[in-house]
Amino acid sequence: MYRKIAKENLKKWLTDLKTQAEVLTPAKANGLWTYRNFDGRDIPHNFQNSRLPPKGLFLESLRALFEWKFPGGSLEVRPLPAMDGLRVIFGLRPCDARALKILESIFARDYPDVFYLRNLSRTLLLGQACRVQCEGSFCSEMGIDSQDSTDFDIFFREVPQGYLARALTARGNALLERRDLFEESSAEEWNLAQSKPRGSREQPLFDLERVKAGVAKSFPDENFWKRFSAKCINCGICTYLCPTCHCFDLCDLQMPGQGMRFRCWDSCAFADFTKMAVHNPREEKWRRYRQRVSHKFHFFYQNFQAIACVGCGRCVGHCPVNLDLRQVLLEAAR
Amino acid sequence: MNSLKTDDSAREKNIYQPHLMEIIKVISETGDTKTFHIQFVEPSLRETFSFLSGQFAEYSVFGEGEAPFCISSSPTRPDHLEFSVKRIGRVTHALHQLNPGDLIGFRGPYGNHFPLDRLKGKNLLFIGGGIGLAPLRSLIHNVLDNRTDYGDITILYGARSPQDLCFKYDLETWGRNPLVKMIITVDVGDADWRGKVGLVPVVLEEIGASPNGAVAITCGPPIMIRYTLKSLEKLSFSPSQIWTTLEMKMKCGLGKCGRCNIGPLYVCKDGPVFSLEEILHFSSDEF
Repeated sequence: MYRKIAKENLKKWLTDLKTQAEVLTPAKANGLWTYRNFDGRDIPHNFQNSRLPPKGLFLESLRALFEWKFPGGSLEVRPLPAMDGLRVIFGLRPCDARALKILESIFARDYPDVFYLRNLSRTLLLGQACRVQCEGSFCSEMGIDSQDSTDFDIFFREVPQGYLARALTARGNALLERRDLFEESSAEEWNLAQSKPRGSREQPLFDLERVKAGVAKSFPDENFWKRFSAKCINCGICTYLCPTCHCFDLCDLQMPGQGMRFRCWDSCAFADFTKMAVHNPREEKWRRYRQRVSHKFHFFYQNFQAIACVGCGRCVGHCPVNLDLRQVLLEAAR
Repeated sequence: MNSLKTDDSAREKNIYQPHLMEIIKVISETGDTKTFHIQFVEPSLRETFSFLSGQFAEYSVFGEGEAPFCISSSPTRPDHLEFSVKRIGRVTHALHQLNPGDLIGFRGPYGNHFPLDRLKGKNLLFIGGGIGLAPLRSLIHNVLDNRTDYGDITILYGARSPQDLCFKYDLETWGRNPLVKMIITVDVGDADWRGKVGLVPVVLEEIGASPNGAVAITCGPPIMIRYTLKSLEKLSFSPSQIWTTLEMKMKCGLGKCGRCNIGPLYVCKDGPVFSLEEILHFSSDEF
C-alpha cells in the first residue's frame, strides 16, 4: 500500500500516535544524533544516522532479568517482566533495521529471549530512505538498499512536498488508515521518488561473495590477523557501536536483603571475555580480532545463512586507531 | 491500537531465571573439591525434570553469579542431582561456603550428551583425570545400571596424589564390581599408597586396551587429554572411537552470549560432548 503525506501532517500524525505509543524520532543530544521522544519538533533534514545504533532500544545495554528477596526470611526468586507498551520509531535507516532482524534470528533461536523479542514486537519500525551515504559505510556492498527495505512496518521516501509511504506489514497498513492525513499514492509515484544518496560510490568497494570466501580462507593465516590487529587497543568501541554485536555478560547485583541478575553488553575485544580458570583460548589480541571478523563474515553465515554486518560504517568512522574493517575485507578478498 | 500487538504468549518464558534447588548433602572430595547433592524445591519439577549423561547446567549462588558444571549423577538414579565443583573462582568459592539446607539456582539441562546408542554393545574404556571424572561418572553409573547392554567396562582413573582422588566411594564400589576392570593411578604416591603410580597416558599404554569393538571416553585436565589421545592413537583407536567433553568459557548456556564458540560451533549448544573425529575437523584451534 502506498500513501503520501505532507510534512506538517506527518508531524500531526506522529503527535497523534503519542496518545497510544511512545514515539521516538531523530534528535541531537549532547551534540550527537540519537532517537528521542517526539516533542513536535521538525523532522531533521541533516540526519544521516544515530551515533549509537538503535539496538540498545531492543537489546538494552543493561537489562534486569529477575530479582530475589527474602520475604519472611526465606529466599524468593521473582521474574522481572519484559518491557511493555507500544513504541513507534521514525527515521530508522535500512542498515539498522536489517541489524534488528539479524539480532532477532539469534534471540529467537532455540531458547527464545522474551526481552529482545518483546521489545521488537512492541515497536513499529518506520524507516526512511537515506539521502547521504554515511562516512565509512559500505552498506550497498553488504546487500543493503539505502532506498528500499522490507525490514520495516512502513518505509518512507522524502519528496519535495513531504513523504511517500509504503506499508510493508499489516500493522503498517493499519497505521496509514488516517485518510485525513494521508493521501492515495501509487507504485509509479513511489518508483519515481527513488534517488541516489549523495556521496555513493559508482563502483562497489568489494564483492561480498569474495569477501566471505576470503575471510574463511584467511582464518588460519596468523600473520594476516596479526598485521591488521597490531594497532588495535582493545577499547571495544567497534563492538559497542555495532548494530549487530550482541555478546553479553550475566552479572549479579546484591544489595542488603535483595538482589537482581542483569544482562549487560560485553565485548569479544576484551581479553578476559573468554578467560577460564586455567586457560584463555583467545588471550592474544589477533585471535580476538580474528574472532570478531570471522564471526560476522564466516561463522554467522554458517549458522544463520546471513552475514552479521550491515556495513553501517560506525566501526570504521569511530575507531580511535583507524582500524578500517573495509581494508581487512578487501585484503581477505584479494 | 491493540490490534497492532503481536501475540507473544508462546515466548513468555524467562530463559535466564533459574529454578530453586536445595542442597541436601555436601561431600568433601578433596581439599579443594566438593560434590553437592541437590533437589528441586518445587516438588513437581522433581518428577518432570529429565536429562541425559553428559549434559550440563548453570548453577547460581544469588549475589555471586552463575557458573556451568556438568551434572555428575546419572539419569538412571533420579532421586536427586549431583554436581562437583573445584574451588577456583568467585562462584566456586561461594558454592564451597554452602551447607545442606541452603538454596541455589539451577538452569538446565543444556548441551548435547554422550551417544548412548552408539555405545551399546561396545567395550567401554573410561579414562578420567582429577575432577574430569565428574562427567564420566554420570555415564559410568548410567552404563552400570544397564550393564547387560554393554561389553567389557574398563575404568582408568588418575589424580596427582592419593589425596586428590575424587569420588573415592564410587572408586571402591566399582573396584569391588566383578564386571568392571578398575585401574587407579596417582602421579605421586605417599607412604600409605599401595596402588599404581604413573601418569594416566603411560598407564593406559601399559594396560594395552584393545580397540576392537571398543569406545574410549575421556575427560580430565587438558594436558592429560592431549597425551591420552596420543596413547589411544598408539593403541590403534580411531578418532571416531574416542569421545570427550570439552570445557570452554560458557556463560548463558543458550548459544547467545558469544563466548564458547570454537569456529561456528557453540560448546554450550553443539557440545560439550564431541568425538575426536569431530574435533579434528574443527576449523579453529581456539579451545
